[in-house]
Amino acid sequence: MSDIVHLTVDGKAIEAPPGTLLINAVKRAGIEIPAFCYYDGLKLQAACRMCLVEVEKTPKLQVACTLPVAEGMVVHTDTPTVHEARKGMVEFLLTNHPLDCPVCDKGGECELQDMTFRYGFGESRFLEQKQHIDEKQWSAVVYFDRPRCINCYRCIRVCDEGMGLTALGITNRGVLAEIIPNEHDHLNCDECGMCIDICPVGALTSGMYRYKTRPWEMKHVGTICTHCSNGCKTTLGVRNDEIIRGNNRDRSGLNGEFLCIKGRYAFDFTHHAERLQSPLVRRNGKLEAASWSEALAEVAKNWTAIKQRGGRFGVIGSTRTTNEENFFLQKFARQVLGTNNIDHHRSGDVPTLLDALSGRTDALATTADFYERKAVLIVGADLSQEQPFLAWQVRANVRHHNAHIYVATPGPVREDRVAAASVRYQEGGELASLENLREKLRAEPELVVAFGDAIQGDAVRQLVNFGDSLGVPVKYVALLDYSNSRGALDMGLLPHLGPGYHAVDTPGMSLAAMLADESLDALWVVGANPLGRHVLAASKPFVVVQDLFLTDTAEHAAVVFPAASAYEKSGTVTNLCGEVQRLEAAIKVAGTKPDLEIFGLLAREMGANLGIWQASKIFEEIRGSVRGYNIPLPILTTGGAAQTAALNGHVPAPPRAERIQAAHNTLFTSGSLGQFSRTLQVVLEAPGALYQGR
Amino acid sequence: MKRTTLEFRMPKVNEVLGSAAAIVKGMSVTFREMMQPTITDLYPDAPPEFEERYRGKHVLQRDENGLEKCVACFLCAAACPANCIYIEAAENTDAKRISGGERYAEVYNIDYSRCIFCGYCVEACPTDAITHGHGFELAGYSTSDLVMRKEDMLAPVPEGAHFPLLVPTAVAGGGGH
Amino acid sequence: MTFSPALEARFAKLLTIYPEGRQRSAVVPMLMYAQDEVGCVTRELVEEVARRCGVQPMQVDEVIGYYSMLHTKPLGKYHIQVCTNISCLLTGGEELYEHAKKTLGIGNKEVTPDGLFSLEEVECMGACSWAPAVEVNYDFHHHVTCEKLDRLIEDLRKLK
Repeated sequence: MSDIVHLTVDGKAIEAPPGTLLINAVKRAGIEIPAFCYYDGLKLQAACRMCLVEVEKTPKLQVACTLPVAEGMVVHTDTPTVHEARKGMVEFLLTNHPLDCPVCDKGGECELQDMTFRYGFGESRFLEQKQHIDEKQWSAVVYFDRPRCINCYRCIRVCDEGMGLTALGITNRGVLAEIIPNEHDHLNCDECGMCIDICPVGALTSGMYRYKTRPWEMKHVGTICTHCSNGCKTTLGVRNDEIIRGNNRDRSGLNGEFLCIKGRYAFDFTHHAERLQSPLVRRNGKLEAASWSEALAEVAKNWTAIKQRGGRFGVIGSTRTTNEENFFLQKFARQVLGTNNIDHHRSGDVPTLLDALSGRTDALATTADFYERKAVLIVGADLSQEQPFLAWQVRANVRHHNAHIYVATPGPVREDRVAAASVRYQEGGELASLENLREKLRAEPELVVAFGDAIQGDAVRQLVNFGDSLGVPVKYVALLDYSNSRGALDMGLLPHLGPGYHAVDTPGMSLAAMLADESLDALWVVGANPLGRHVLAASKPFVVVQDLFLTDTAEHAAVVFPAASAYEKSGTVTNLCGEVQRLEAAIKVAGTKPDLEIFGLLAREMGANLGIWQASKIFEEIRGSVRGYNIPLPILTTGGAAQTAALNGHVPAPPRAERIQAAHNTLFTSGSLGQFSRTLQVVLEAPGALYQGR
Repeated sequence: MKRTTLEFRMPKVNEVLGSAAAIVKGMSVTFREMMQPTITDLYPDAPPEFEERYRGKHVLQRDENGLEKCVACFLCAAACPANCIYIEAAENTDAKRISGGERYAEVYNIDYSRCIFCGYCVEACPTDAITHGHGFELAGYSTSDLVMRKEDMLAPVPEGAHFPLLVPTAVAGGGGH
Repeated sequence: MTFSPALEARFAKLLTIYPEGRQRSAVVPMLMYAQDEVGCVTRELVEEVARRCGVQPMQVDEVIGYYSMLHTKPLGKYHIQVCTNISCLLTGGEELYEHAKKTLGIGNKEVTPDGLFSLEEVECMGACSWAPAVEVNYDFHHHVTCEKLDRLIEDLRKLK
């Protein structure tokens, strides 16, 4: 069999590899075959019959979405017969489809609407009364309007294959056929909204976007989700400085169309009623609204005084702020405050991993590797809950490439269903449990290893040794918590390491040590809530907090600055695989300022010159000075994800091993931020739990 | 030659007759119009009259039950070349029904400092909810006065109709459509 | 849920005759056989079949919705199915069905108060050559007329 099949479509000679579906082969020649049920990456359904074409030497019209190309095939897509067939199909699909486009949320971006315009008759011969069935609400997120459904099975397939859930099914036959949820009258699922997004008509609509606006009324801003560390691109629909919806319909970004509930719906914290919109200064024991100049002066006065008497500073950075902000913050702490007492909430042992892999190239996995590599080993993580996009990649890898998945977790996980082998361990037995998989892993041609916070310190080195002993190429990734957890590490929000993991002269105090230090004079917390689970030992430190909300930490503060969220600023973030992506400001919330601007204003107030506080300028500095960040700008500016170059050199190990404790968020939690998202609070499944096997 | 000779001989007679004819012609129009009904509008002393299709200030129509016809589909706003229509939609509930459709316009503003009275919005409306009325006295002292709200444009509730439709919760059911 | 030993044996065999990973195929025959023993497809049965075949209960619901011979409500002891599809229709199937409704005093998919009979209007049963046809439980009756149907019902009533 030859490597290339030759065929003729509408008189054009086309070449395609054998096995290519006709519907895809003709795309390269610029010919469109319309289809509803066909969806790239999902199983074939051939339910809508919209893609009928004429193939010479076959008696009837053929379904282009299931027909593989063949040598010498002659296809016509532009004949009266084909046009007639398409018109008939559209008319048929519209038999009981209500003509309520003006009130349908899909109107304006509906595939059926577009197809009717393009391929349909102008009118219908069906004059019968349409059957009406009331719309049903299946969850806080999902609404189902049956008469609009065209039975394309896309939702069923994406839920079953893409999400691995099978929360949607179809019952009855013919005109009575109806999509059903898994719990009879409601859904019990991830609430990811993939079914809504993928629906070509308005049958499945979103409860969050319901009747808010029309698609053409919005400005669409592509930015990076602020929740987990996978770094999914989310395209935010904005109207009147309010984010109305999130999706990624254009399949741009590393995540394609995938988004979980957090990326798609949990942007609503931006307009939460408790959002801080003015600086607060403590007067007579109470936090009161103050002007920016008062608050800045108050902080500068106190910090200068503390510095002059040689007091001790502690700085805690954020895992959601941008690389530029983190870089500027550590510079501020080290140069202006003169302290190495800087840390953030660490969630994975990246420094040790980079050190263990020093000298190697091509040993750090990208998110694409989870889809492309032939075998994946997951150690100590409920991937579907904690790292939803990586789990989506893994499922797609199994579906498309028959990849082998290996799981070593303390309890059942969803990946067990597609796994070649799963092992369970008791805490402490992580590495020992891998021995049970050794023989199988040795037989794989290549491997990607993802590990959670259960593997840290020396265990990371042992894991890398285990990988080396397999004798196959292995790539690693340490799983992290939030959108810029990796960036916080890379930018040197660490007491012993500066930007690019360079050792500092005198290591400072870690987060735990700062909070436990009774003689701490000043604590500066940026976008974090350490007092949510720790106690501050020092009796009267001067606490400054920059955050979106009055968190547990902010309630202890002397001064609170209202910060802008990731959706309200520009800059870059680095995901857990070291892929750098750009944020795009979607909205502006009155009274808030991006953290970077707050740092800049504080620096000016203290009379320090740290350079211009503009994200693009600072990123230039990062590219020039932080190891691995000299990435090509065109990739970034076009909305791509550039992986930071593999580090090639020794990373100084921490002087003393600190226990890293990740947040272990489920699909329905997102640290302190999660409690301010209405969506995450109202779905029945919240807050969820790990290792339930779902 | 003959004509020139006549004109040369009787220039004055010609002139007199010509003038008299012109006066008769002119006065005939005057006398004829004196018999016709007057067309001058006595505005502002009396209300002006309009052609049926005069495009004045918009009216948001109601159906025979008094419910608003507008379902907040935004098509008027999309069609508007001056971008002067602003809408916020909301959903009818079983207990309180504002429009005949599933949703209604909670906010419906037209900025008359921008409206060019082209009628595209009327043409775009799938429910015949927006029409041009004959209102034309739109002058104001400030441009912000020219932003009309839904309440400023809604047609009156027809006699005997109840609006908004309030259904006691106990009886409410199905609905939404 | 427990079944008779014979049915259990049947189930065990069913799960082995399909290729590995295609145990979902056993859902339809399992439901059919279990329905005969239990009387109808109960919620409990759905969950049980789903568990045994390794699918979601919702996927069993899909099958029940699709196949009209799977019933979720109990039927009469004698389930009379009258075909009104094209061949039977042309030879009096419609009248037969109307007659059955009148005689039994019940409508489509209803059960007589004594629980003895249930009636269903069905599509083609493949007995077109001997139309009109009536099926009682699994037994076919060919060239049925209204009189023959009456006699049949009387006989069944005597049988109890």
